[in-house]
Amino acid sequence: MQKKENFRERILGTWASWSSRNWGKAFLIIAGITAVMAVGMSMLKMEMTFYSILPDNTTQVRDMKMIMEEFPAASSIMAVVDARSIGDPLEAEKKVKEGIDAIVERISEPEFSRYVVRVTGKTDMDFYKEHGLMFSKEKDIERSAGMYGNLDLVPLIRAVNDDFEREYSGDGEKLADEEQLAVGMFRGLDEVLGLIESSAKGQAPSDRNVDSALDDWLFGESYILSNDSRMGIAIIQPTFTMEDIMDMTNGVNAIERAVKDLGREMGLPMGLTGMVVVGRDEMATSEQGIVLSSLLALIAILLIMIFTFRMFSVPFISGIPLVTGIFWTMGMSGFVIHRLNIMTAMYLVALLGLGIDFAIHLLTAYRQELDEGDSFSDAMRQSLVKSGPGILTGGLTTATAFFALVLADTQMIRELGIVAGMGIVCELIAMILFIPPLLGFRDYRRTKKGKVEHSVFDKVKIRSDAASGIGKVLVKAPVLFSLIMLAIGIFFGLKAPGVQLETNLMKMEAEGLESIELQDTLVDEFGMAPDSLSIISDDPAEVRDFSDRLDDLSSVKMVDSLGAYYLSPDDAERRGKLIRDFASALENRKAGTDVDSDALLEELYRLEMNVMEMGDMAYLGNLDKLLNTINRITGLNEDGEKIGESRFDRLFAMLEEGDIDREALAGLQNRLQDQLGSKLMKMANDEPVSFDVLPDSLKDSYISRDGKQFLMNIMPTQNPWEQEFRGIYTQQISTVTDKATGMLLAGDQLTYMAEKDGVKAAIVAIIVVFLILLADFRNIKLVVLTMASLLLSFLTLFGFMALAGIRFDFINIIVVPLLIGIGVDDAVHINHRYLREGKGKMKSVIGKTGTALLITSLTTIVGFVSFVPSPMRAMRSTGIVLSIAMAIAFCFSVLFHPGMLIIMREKLNLKIKPWNRSEK
Amino acid sequence: MKKSVIAGLFLILLSSLAAAQTAQEIVSRADEAFKGNRIYSTSTMTVYLSDEAQPVQKIEGYTMEKDGKSYSLSIYVEPRRMKGTANLMIEDDLWVRFSSTGRVRKLSSSAKKNSAGGSDFSYADMGEGGSGLAGKYTSRLMGEEKVEGDLCHVIELTASGSDAPYEKMVVYITKDTYRYLKIDYYESGANIKSMSFYDYRTVNGKDYPFAYTMFNHTKPSRTEVVIEEFEVDSPKVQDRMFTTRYLETIR
Repeated sequence: MQKKENFRERILGTWASWSSRNWGKAFLIIAGITAVMAVGMSMLKMEMTFYSILPDNTTQVRDMKMIMEEFPAASSIMAVVDARSIGDPLEAEKKVKEGIDAIVERISEPEFSRYVVRVTGKTDMDFYKEHGLMFSKEKDIERSAGMYGNLDLVPLIRAVNDDFEREYSGDGEKLADEEQLAVGMFRGLDEVLGLIESSAKGQAPSDRNVDSALDDWLFGESYILSNDSRMGIAIIQPTFTMEDIMDMTNGVNAIERAVKDLGREMGLPMGLTGMVVVGRDEMATSEQGIVLSSLLALIAILLIMIFTFRMFSVPFISGIPLVTGIFWTMGMSGFVIHRLNIMTAMYLVALLGLGIDFAIHLLTAYRQELDEGDSFSDAMRQSLVKSGPGILTGGLTTATAFFALVLADTQMIRELGIVAGMGIVCELIAMILFIPPLLGFRDYRRTKKGKVEHSVFDKVKIRSDAASGIGKVLVKAPVLFSLIMLAIGIFFGLKAPGVQLETNLMKMEAEGLESIELQDTLVDEFGMAPDSLSIISDDPAEVRDFSDRLDDLSSVKMVDSLGAYYLSPDDAERRGKLIRDFASALENRKAGTDVDSDALLEELYRLEMNVMEMGDMAYLGNLDKLLNTINRITGLNEDGEKIGESRFDRLFAMLEEGDIDREALAGLQNRLQDQLGSKLMKMANDEPVSFDVLPDSLKDSYISRDGKQFLMNIMPTQNPWEQEFRGIYTQQISTVTDKATGMLLAGDQLTYMAEKDGVKAAIVAIIVVFLILLADFRNIKLVVLTMASLLLSFLTLFGFMALAGIRFDFINIIVVPLLIGIGVDDAVHINHRYLREGKGKMKSVIGKTGTALLITSLTTIVGFVSFVPSPMRAMRSTGIVLSIAMAIAFCFSVLFHPGMLIIMREKLNLKIKPWNRSEK
Repeated sequence: MKKSVIAGLFLILLSSLAAAQTAQEIVSRADEAFKGNRIYSTSTMTVYLSDEAQPVQKIEGYTMEKDGKSYSLSIYVEPRRMKGTANLMIEDDLWVRFSSTGRVRKLSSSAKKNSAGGSDFSYADMGEGGSGLAGKYTSRLMGEEKVEGDLCHVIELTASGSDAPYEKMVVYITKDTYRYLKIDYYESGANIKSMSFYDYRTVNGKDYPFAYTMFNHTKPSRTEVVIEEFEVDSPKVQDRMFTTRYLETIR
């Protein structure tokens, strides 16, 4: 007996009949809709950056964009030279410095000018030599005045000793922070001792030697070296940012090739890191490994569909509406929200999986009708009448659930809800509108050419009710199957709370990437991480204030900014006065004619003790580089035992025996008076300074292109991608300012979205799904059962992830909406078919609907499995999580849900028909 | 109506005072274990940088409470280079004796907060044991939490005055035995270090941790201390030791 069609079924049936006959007109209607969507598409902006997922209306995101656009140095590349394999520390340091010089020379060549603004391997000391005192703190200017009031040898060393013995802070941490500076100073001191020794022996040192010793003593190390000097960095400022994808890839590749070649030539490992290098690696690895597997997956999916539906044209019949649906979604997104961000764009990939499912349900129903002997037009009509309501309810339920996400707090979740909801509606409409005329067109061509079914389909025949075997077994023991599945769900559900969130975005990248590993190396070897939070300000006074306060935080290694170079008019006045006093004292200093050897001996004894005490501090503080330097000066080994004669020892011996060339020593004293005096006078420049006099490398790094904004980079002490440390770092910074911004915030945004807004959004979505199902089925028992199947799928997936140690991340979290969509859809299809077929027909329901579910699950799983070979951990985990989720959804839809329906309706005689309908 | 509101407010005030008192009492009771007079100890201290152990330091410790003042002296026994190096702390004053030169140097008044000898302990962390925390911080009971399987009072300690080395601490004290199991140290609103206490043993009727570790959350570093000898009311602790003159005589 033909069942009476309701209004929805009549509409669907009418469209199926008309459009399959009048396919040309139907194509015109679809073309018209597509043309309208093309207008929307033209309004669409693709924002494929990390900050596209951050709230658009916050100062932080605006500042972050400004930093990327206005401060090219924010995209700096670090070329790292590694000489850790060289045993001798001095040799290692020498090699590192040669490596840095070679990188600077090579990357400064014209062939790199397209990609490189500047490469620097050393701090620009000339600037400090001319303005050093003006940028020193007042207490340091006063200290300098005390130290250099008399440049005769004995008073000078006495002043140095007095400075050592000032109130002692005993701060091991501060010493560690300033180890590099201290090493430079002690090396300079050793060189000065060398000058005294050679002069005492009657050998006059060259001007160059005196100059070099004094520079080292006054200014310290100019290279950027690791704590033990076995590694060093050259900073390359590129012409591009992460936004310039082509230049970023080509530029980083060109620089990397050159640096690696140099490394090979010099026998030193060299590599690159920095955000743009990580960005390049991300782009490269996201495609690696999955091109072949994706191709194989596509072929496998096509073969499954071709043989299931016995049509060679099925890729076109399902593919054309699928792509059209995606196009319409993009058009609608253009009209409604004007952009796609990195997350919503990724969702379009998931939409391919959901969209193809609609096609599979329609085509399965069509093939089943043909197999039952219907004509083309009857099969077409019946396929839409029978499967259409299930597709419509399932699709609209999922779409509405997504639309409910507009209640979320975060803009990204709201956008995801809108795009995902529209995407499902667009795919649904595209499939229903497009498939009947496409099948009509196919039938027209086949009839015209007199084609029959290809012989290959007789050899490899997949039955259109292939899942009936499962149905046969299930109807025999529905209680057993339901209980087993329930037990599996409960078992995994108990483990589900253990599922964790990946908050270290760097752990989503490919394993073993040099750019990522170097970041950790920099933390270990240099005591600071290259990724930082930044602040921009238009007020130089604020830059100084923030820099000083941030520098005091224990999670901050240093603040890179112009803070130290900003002087308020009052500061400039006070410092200017101190400098003028210093210069005046220096100019009027008295120079002695000879050197008091007894006093010199006494001060050298004192100096040795001060140096040895610093050695003890360095030993306790595990400051190897400083300890080695001091041990060399004092002739001690690591245990503090005398193992060699030091310059101190030789000087003590000469001075104690009176065996010195007094004239040469006096000559050195005169040279020091001249050369040190002239260096100090040059530093004692009291000219008021502004940012204009800064070296270009500093201006480019910290002043925006328009000169109105100033950048501060807050360098952390540990890798800030690690969430625990990031919490401390951001909390401490927040006590100074709420203006800090950076890519690191994407990690926190993810945490917020997943932990708070994501959960809230999921709850809202589930409530909405519940209400829609209630409106559709008008039977609370059936709705609760449908939701139970979905809930068990989620619990099983989360429990599996917890047990397998797979964390949710930024990309694989897409499984949540996908599982809601597919999980609900599958159960809804079975419900509709079961309600239509009636009691005792579950075997047929599973045979027919289950086949569609099997094919949809298989195609989706095959598609997602193709992500697994990717070296990128996020892609791999997405492949695993989505494949597992699809398998779980299929199992609960086919093994749990139908069993429970049989128990409820046929064993317990519970009513599952709508409230106003009789169960019979 | 008005009276009942006032009475209600009074009750709330009373109950909050009672809670504050309870928290203070808990901390005072936990402090008792550390307040034994004339404590002598020998311990080893190992600093781990990125999980790599640095040379082990062996230290003799002497602490004393006298006339309301806290005295503490730490003398390095090992490693060889540091043998004879000593830190003397009398209330907030600090001196260091360097073994390499035999000289004694006074540390600046701010030095208490600084890292002691490259470890994750500050000089204050090392010398504070004798005086306890209750007197320097205002306590607030925050609730209960399990630490390593033991149910603990969670108490927030807020610095009462500017001389307290930390702005805030959160201490975890076992409910049944009043043992410190963990202390979280806060700076600029963030938990920058945590000290965990292990291996409690009873000495002279008081429980004392024979091992504790300071975990640094802002650097890849931790410092482990293991106590080897521990004597309360020890005759080895003498008044004359807590003077700079005595420091000069150490060999």
